[in-house]
Amino acid sequence: MSSRKRWAVGALVAALLLTAGYFAGLLTPSLKAPGDNSAEAGFARDMSRHHAQAVAMSMIAWQNASTPEVRQLAYSIAVTQQAQIGMMSEWLKDWHLSPTGTKPAMAWMPDGAHELLPDGRMPGMASTDEINKLTEAKGKDVDILYCQLMLRHHLGGIHMVEGVLSETDNSRVRELAESMKNGQQSEIVTLRDLLTSLGAQPLGS
Amino acid sequence: MSTPQGGGNKRSSSTVRVSGKTDAVNSTKTPDTRRSSASANRSRPPAPQMRVAKQRDWSWIAIIAVAAVLAGGIVGYAIYNNYSSGRSWQSKADSISGILDYRKSDPKLVATRDHQWGPITYTVTPPVAGNHNYNWQRCAGDVYPAQIANEHAVHSMEHGAVWVTYNPATLSADQVAKLSTKVKSVGDYILMSPYPGLKTPISLQAWGFQLPLQSADDKRIDQFIQDLRINASMEPGVDCSSGSYITATGTTPHDLGKGATDSGTTAPDSQPGATPAPSQS
Repeated sequence: MSSRKRWAVGALVAALLLTAGYFAGLLTPSLKAPGDNSAEAGFARDMSRHHAQAVAMSMIAWQNASTPEVRQLAYSIAVTQQAQIGMMSEWLKDWHLSPTGTKPAMAWMPDGAHELLPDGRMPGMASTDEINKLTEAKGKDVDILYCQLMLRHHLGGIHMVEGVLSETDNSRVRELAESMKNGQQSEIVTLRDLLTSLGAQPLGS
Repeated sequence: MSTPQGGGNKRSSSTVRVSGKTDAVNSTKTPDTRRSSASANRSRPPAPQMRVAKQRDWSWIAIIAVAAVLAGGIVGYAIYNNYSSGRSWQSKADSISGILDYRKSDPKLVATRDHQWGPITYTVTPPVAGNHNYNWQRCAGDVYPAQIANEHAVHSMEHGAVWVTYNPATLSADQVAKLSTKVKSVGDYILMSPYPGLKTPISLQAWGFQLPLQSADDKRIDQFIQDLRINASMEPGVDCSSGSYITATGTTPHDLGKGATDSGTTAPDSQPGATPAPSQS
């Protein structure tokens, strides 16, 4: 009796531990996933909004700018950033988080509240007036204004990217953030060169 | 499972005490021989053997109990975690009190989403779904000072925007300001406009959903935005802030680029960044 019972008990314990192990394995990814107030989630939400404005400005420049180099750069920025919005929205889905957070913009950064411009804009974002100006601009003015606004936009974007890089060790987030930083840094060089060749200056901060 | 085992154990403990301590030591020292030969086992006096088995019962029960508690805890937490984080946005939205879910009550309406020019009649006020204009109202946190065309706003909602409407006659100025601050701070995939004649002071819309409200302080506003903004999109990935959008107000749809699609030629090189609208969104 004892031997048979021992086997039964052993099998039962093994089954219980296997079950526990299986569910612990199922649970692990969700425990490791960034939470609703994490830097990763905040970055994904805010950067999506930030990117959306870059896409909007670039689509205007793609359509209305007169310099082929500006149109080409605008096209490339629009396509890249729209794709990146898609990647960030998938992160949020995978982490079971809403596209909308409960905290104000930039709250995920250490000094979040001070990151916002007085009217609540994120770093580098253009105002509605500036967007309207770009929309209504004609000829070379489109090229100049686009390069100026996009340069400032990228500088703000890189600041946010550096913010998330200092907060996260999530490899997926780091990989995209690093590529944003590299890509935008080289586009900044191009934008500065374009402004010089257009005979214009970057905007004052 | 532990109850019958425990019962059996109790019964044995009284008989166990009769035998001496030395037996217990012996038997624990030779578990292998005892297990390997059944005949030797049988020749032994029954008491020590029983005693060994019974004494071990406690530890088995403890092991089972610990394993069961561990497994139960992990399984329970995993199920809870899966339930709470894995709930769909639609089921979260459905649990907002007072929300009207037309995706459930009128799936046909919600599936209707062709593009057309000119005025369109809607059965729900303000509309929550249906055919709409080729152009959408810009929904990048825009707060419109005057009424806008339903035909454009419905298209914005198709893109995933939340449309905040209020009755300018029944919602006070400071309540309007509060709503407007919220819309601007959300900043994208949301728009706000007055809607004269609205039955309640405020009404929130997303594709297939409506939530009539009395006050801008209602916590359900944040819930609605959180559950439905972007999530309710019928075309995930399409944006609010670039393309052939409308920023003008007025209840008559602005048929931007109509001539171009009618004649089959490309769109005029016009504002605001207008591309000829394709026949499907």
